[in-house]
Amino acid sequence: MAHAYVPEIATDREGNEYEVQGWQDDFYGGKLGFWLFMFTEVMMFGAMFLTLTYYNTLHHEDFLLASSHLNRWLGGTNTVILLISALTMGLSLLKMRAGDVKGAKLMIWATILLALIFLSIKGVEWNEEYERGVFLMHGELLASSSMPFGEKLFYGMYFTMTGLHGFHIIIGIGLMLWLLKRINAGKVSPEHHILHWNIALYWDIVHLIWVFVFPYFYMIGAGDIVGGAHHG
Amino acid sequence: MANETVNYKEERARYYKILFGLLFLTAITFIQPHIFHAGTFVAQMSIAIVKAWLIIMYYMHLKGDNLIGAMGIFSLFLVAVFFIITIAVDVSHFQFGSESYITSAPHAN
Repeated sequence: MAHAYVPEIATDREGNEYEVQGWQDDFYGGKLGFWLFMFTEVMMFGAMFLTLTYYNTLHHEDFLLASSHLNRWLGGTNTVILLISALTMGLSLLKMRAGDVKGAKLMIWATILLALIFLSIKGVEWNEEYERGVFLMHGELLASSSMPFGEKLFYGMYFTMTGLHGFHIIIGIGLMLWLLKRINAGKVSPEHHILHWNIALYWDIVHLIWVFVFPYFYMIGAGDIVGGAHHG
Repeated sequence: MANETVNYKEERARYYKILFGLLFLTAITFIQPHIFHAGTFVAQMSIAIVKAWLIIMYYMHLKGDNLIGAMGIFSLFLVAVFFIITIAVDVSHFQFGSESYITSAPHAN
């Protein structure tokens, strides 16, 4: 049975027994703990965005030019895919809370599928960049290349941040597969769904990070200087 | 655990409303550079902040949860303070433009 709880018994000097308070049912505590973890994510990506902003002020025109060369349509497609995946994950949690376990599992599978499509598109995009000689420690990003320093910084941050974000997507897929396993084992149920709640929160923060990554890298160069040089 | 009653239809309808709101804002993200060129960065970041607010309040269920909301603002505040201090100390120690590879780079190009 899921969450079979054996209470701990404390005995005082007179031999009286007392049941020790268990925290297995502390839903808010479980949620709060996970939010604390997510704040570390906010701080990590927040620091990266501030670094990006600092470099952007120093090399603004290089940033706009580099941004205009990214594939806006692939990035935009990924934005919509991640947006829909946030819906499917949210619906899975809602279905679980409403008692529709089968529907919840279906929605988790849909989220996994969308996450895989996201990664595939990201792979195509990175390959495209690699083909034109723009990749970490490769071609135009080597110190010896003639590419302006600001553009090198932009692409360095682009690969670092989208790579780290992609890593979070992979972790998310792993978490969702684990969640499905726990649901199948009866460890996550409509009555005990804190794990599902927290993994849905994780997926939302992965989406949230992309909400800022997309315009910062792909869209800032769409207007001011070149109006979308290659793909726009 | 969560002793709650779920109003499935109402919550599902809210999820879809937010989805359409986010899709609308994403469309604006694409259209904005074609409407006006100046201030693209500010416009894009403003749209992103509105999208983030919708996600946090409704998808992440923070609406009405003041404790976690306050903690979120505090963590962002911490990042900003540490970053500003770090940058301020860093910049104040530049004695010569060429001392920093980063700051001297525009002239090196």
